[in-house]
Amino acid sequence: MKKFRPWRYPSEWALFRIDDRLLLIVIGAVVGICSGFAALLLNRSLTAILEMLHDWRHYWWAFLLPATGAAFSSLFLDKIVKEEAGHGVPEVIFSVFRHGGLLRLRSSFSRLISSWLTIGSGGSAGPEAPVVMSGAAIGSNIARFFALNERQRITLVGCGAAGAISSIFNAPIAGMVFSIEVIIGEWSAVNIIPIAIASVAGTEISRTLQGNQIAFSHRQFNPGTIDIVASIGIAVIAAVLSVVLTRLLRRMHTISGKTRMPLWLRAAVGGCAVGIIGIFFPDVLGEGYHSIRMIIEGVYPGGIAVASFLMLSKILATSLTIGWGGSGGIFAPCLVIGSFAGVAWHRILVFLWPTVTWVNEGCFALIGMAGMISGILQAPLTAIFLIVEITGSYEEILPLILVSTISTTFCHYFEPASFYLRDLVENRQLLRPGTDGRVLADLSVGDLLEKDCIVVGQQMLLRDFIEVIKKSHRNHFPVEEEETGKFLGMIQMDHIRPYLFDTVMYDTVLLEQIMEVDVVKACPDDNLNDILREMDTLNLFSIPVVDSGRFVGMISKATILDQYRKELLVQTTL
Amino acid sequence: MRLSLQETAKLLDLPMGMVERWIRQGRIPINKIGEDCYFKKAVLEKWALTHNLSLSKMRADQQETEPITTVSLRSAMDFGGVSHQIQGKNIKEVLEAVVSRNTFLHETNKKLLLERLIERENLTSTGIGNGVAIPHPRVPLQEAIQQPAISTCFLEKPIDFQAMDGKPVFVLFLLISTSMKTHLHLLSGLSLCLRNSSFITFLHSRPDQNSLMERIAMFEHADSL
Repeated sequence: MKKFRPWRYPSEWALFRIDDRLLLIVIGAVVGICSGFAALLLNRSLTAILEMLHDWRHYWWAFLLPATGAAFSSLFLDKIVKEEAGHGVPEVIFSVFRHGGLLRLRSSFSRLISSWLTIGSGGSAGPEAPVVMSGAAIGSNIARFFALNERQRITLVGCGAAGAISSIFNAPIAGMVFSIEVIIGEWSAVNIIPIAIASVAGTEISRTLQGNQIAFSHRQFNPGTIDIVASIGIAVIAAVLSVVLTRLLRRMHTISGKTRMPLWLRAAVGGCAVGIIGIFFPDVLGEGYHSIRMIIEGVYPGGIAVASFLMLSKILATSLTIGWGGSGGIFAPCLVIGSFAGVAWHRILVFLWPTVTWVNEGCFALIGMAGMISGILQAPLTAIFLIVEITGSYEEILPLILVSTISTTFCHYFEPASFYLRDLVENRQLLRPGTDGRVLADLSVGDLLEKDCIVVGQQMLLRDFIEVIKKSHRNHFPVEEEETGKFLGMIQMDHIRPYLFDTVMYDTVLLEQIMEVDVVKACPDDNLNDILREMDTLNLFSIPVVDSGRFVGMISKATILDQYRKELLVQTTL
Repeated sequence: MRLSLQETAKLLDLPMGMVERWIRQGRIPINKIGEDCYFKKAVLEKWALTHNLSLSKMRADQQETEPITTVSLRSAMDFGGVSHQIQGKNIKEVLEAVVSRNTFLHETNKKLLLERLIERENLTSTGIGNGVAIPHPRVPLQEAIQQPAISTCFLEKPIDFQAMDGKPVFVLFLLISTSMKTHLHLLSGLSLCLRNSSFITFLHSRPDQNSLMERIAMFEHADSL
């Protein structure tokens, strides 16, 4: 066994000892390849199941298909792998912040299977978030296998996400930017390089096995100045739609949470509703890339009303699928909604100003997609690069940038945090690296305890206490009950100074008479943020820490500042 | 140089839990041999420099020097010695005589000491009452002596030392210390003895070195109880 040991610890190899960045690049490439395969697997099996179920879609009971798929997906997640429903990206982000990127091994396939069931049966969701979760879990588990530390593990989680997005969209830059902007939230060379390598690896896997095809290729667009100005309108529409989609998703989630049905039945109800919508608008079912292709090529037949209806029903279908317990991401629905919004806006423009020569409607669809993605994710760079890469066109970069930034800004007024981060922000668990919250979350009360206080008994005489003062170099003296060791109160030097020079009081005053009883206390498990807020509001400089009735030490601002600064220095310099 | 976890925590002046967390998070450079970890001092110093962290090198040294300062009153008095029949009509003459009787100081230092003593007396008298004065220089003579000394000097005739209570002074305790801390420590110990009225009566009998030391030993014994 000894002989095989070193390969499990690559950080001990002579080559990687020089610089652990090399190690991360090599393992990052491996992670990128694995997550690229995972993304391809989901993509292929989705195509397969869609073809398989194609013939059944014409039957009258076809609306039950999404219900069955969603129910099975929910049952699988809940009973077999014991994970929560949803798209998984917030879980990945949370794990990056809180647990150093630790993810379970089963997460690397659980979402693939559940979203395959949901989307394949016709649920309105995307395969991207599940592959991100899967890629991230692959990265995390490879890091754990090689016994890497948390910082390296977080980078590999980012590599997994980047490889997955790169592979599924054939878009290396978008994968890289998404991983850094959304998942890791920290732009540093240490992270970017392995993630870039993983993106390359993931993309290459997809290109080798599927060919270098651009998802939504189209003929050339040449947007003029007037088109760029008009695109501001679509930015506003996309922003409004993003807010509506985000709110509706959450609303659906709350409504389904209030029903007393078991989880799988909820998912089935949601799927059933989607199926019924699908009878009237079959375009809303599944990931919906087929309709995007038609729109971008400019051959979509529907008018303003049809496009708007489709747009709204896609929003409804998506929130029914995901909000009621189906499994899947919102990337693909966003693209579909955005493209419908674009085409609708184009029709409106043509209707209002028929004499102006507008650019092809496909261009507006692209811009609408970017607007939706940047509105929902509040990640403008991801949106810009993603659209440029999946459409293989650079000509419309100007309106793309404009729309992405406007949409992000506009959404930010209504939804202060992006769709992925909202729950985390509300629970105060969004701890981006290098921020105050992050530093405070890493420090623990136990590490900051000052244990040099002399504990005195309640029945001690002032005369004896003066001897204690001589030996102490602190101004705080915790008082405890002699027999039980129970914490009773504090004696502050500042408050008893006048008595110290009065010899008459030496033998007449007991400590319990001069101690303060109602002191502010902290517990060792308390959140440091709360302790500091309490200190600030009450203008305290140090407070005693009491653990199950016993005094364990003092916590003071001076020590907090000292350790806080060290922590901040170590966290922000890489 | 290899350092253990405890030594590193001490060097960085951090709790152990924090260093352990930094290792887990991969924020601090560490060398591993299988399951065992150790730090390299040179690597750690470089790392601390790039992170603007300061290593607390001084702390360990200070703790080593500190115990030396607690010299007992008796050993200082024993080292200083006892001299009788000091002559002189005023403060200056008495101090000159005291310094010249000194056995452990170098000639140049004696001159310096005398200057310092007179300078101190000009500020305020060191006569603390009951016929006792404790002349001392304001700044400790660090380089002149290796260990603190209290020389007990009985005067031939009591002189006016401009003491607080106006009583003529018959005994001087010349206090020369190596640091301010020892100075205060010895002064506090000495004044505890001098507050005792029976000790003053005892001093009036002008005892020799051995019986004085016995008496001081009694005080120190009582104090430590």
